[in-house]
Amino acid sequence: MLGPACRMTAFDAAPVPEPAARSDAGALERFLREVERRALRMAELATGNREEALDLVQDAMFGFVRHYGERPDKDWRPLFWRVLDSRLNDWHRRQRVRGRFRIWPAPHADDDEDPIASAPDPYEPGPLARLADGEASAALDAALRTLPLRQRQAFLLRLWEGLDVAATAAAMRCSEGSVKTHLSRALANLRRTLGEHQ
Amino acid sequence: MNTPHDENWIERARALLDQSTDALDAATLSRLHRARQAALAQRRGMSRRWALGAGVAAAAALMLGLGLGLHRNGQTDRPAPATPEAAAFQPADIDVLTGDDDALDLYENLDFYAWLDAQEGGSSG
Repeated sequence: MLGPACRMTAFDAAPVPEPAARSDAGALERFLREVERRALRMAELATGNREEALDLVQDAMFGFVRHYGERPDKDWRPLFWRVLDSRLNDWHRRQRVRGRFRIWPAPHADDDEDPIASAPDPYEPGPLARLADGEASAALDAALRTLPLRQRQAFLLRLWEGLDVAATAAAMRCSEGSVKTHLSRALANLRRTLGEHQ
Repeated sequence: MNTPHDENWIERARALLDQSTDALDAATLSRLHRARQAALAQRRGMSRRWALGAGVAAAAALMLGLGLGLHRNGQTDRPAPATPEAAAFQPADIDVLTGDDDALDLYENLDFYAWLDAQEGGSSG
């Protein structure tokens, strides 16, 4: 479910800083090599299909290089995730329009949460703690796939990719407040879903 | 937002996600490699097109400049004369200055020829 503050315009219509220096191809390749695996996993979690995920990552690489390859390398990270996020949103919209596959259950309404029920129990060791790696990995994948797209993106960009709130907001084209809201709800949903696997 | 309790399982989740990227199979890694190389090749192609475009534009500008220069040489417009004497100077004066003897003779004896012309006019009238 998309947050109200999120803009769904094309990524290349959003304002970006002007280039300060030309980048070199070697640095660009190193950057893409560094992010491509995480990008693939992110796309795979969004689509549930590796082939589609590979196509989306390739498309994102093309778009990123075409539009932002000349930008200073310090700007690359949020811009790359912005391009991929845009591709994932487009894919998600197409799926909804076509109604072909329901990869995930009906999206959660972001406003129907009981904050007391979703609050963590301080005496619990936490989800994933009692599972072996293989089981935990499968449980985590399944739990991430049940999240609404924006919540999953906020979780992955903020806590896995390590972007700060501002960079995550830039990548998701929404306000910093929306990022915090999406992340908070993602954590509550993951805690609840993974808790069911204990 | 995150409690210490959250930090534990989030760290575990992060480690599991990292493991999943390390465990990607060779075919998938090869596809990623090809995708990356194709994206970078597109960039090199763009650079070449830019260079070609710049070359064509420079050649066109050069041709235009040459064309304009040749056109101006064919025209008779000159800069405005700096003094009245220069303004009075006529192209025919060049004959006098370039050593044509007949023209120089005419120029030296202008008074005589003017008198002769008056005499002939008077005798015929």
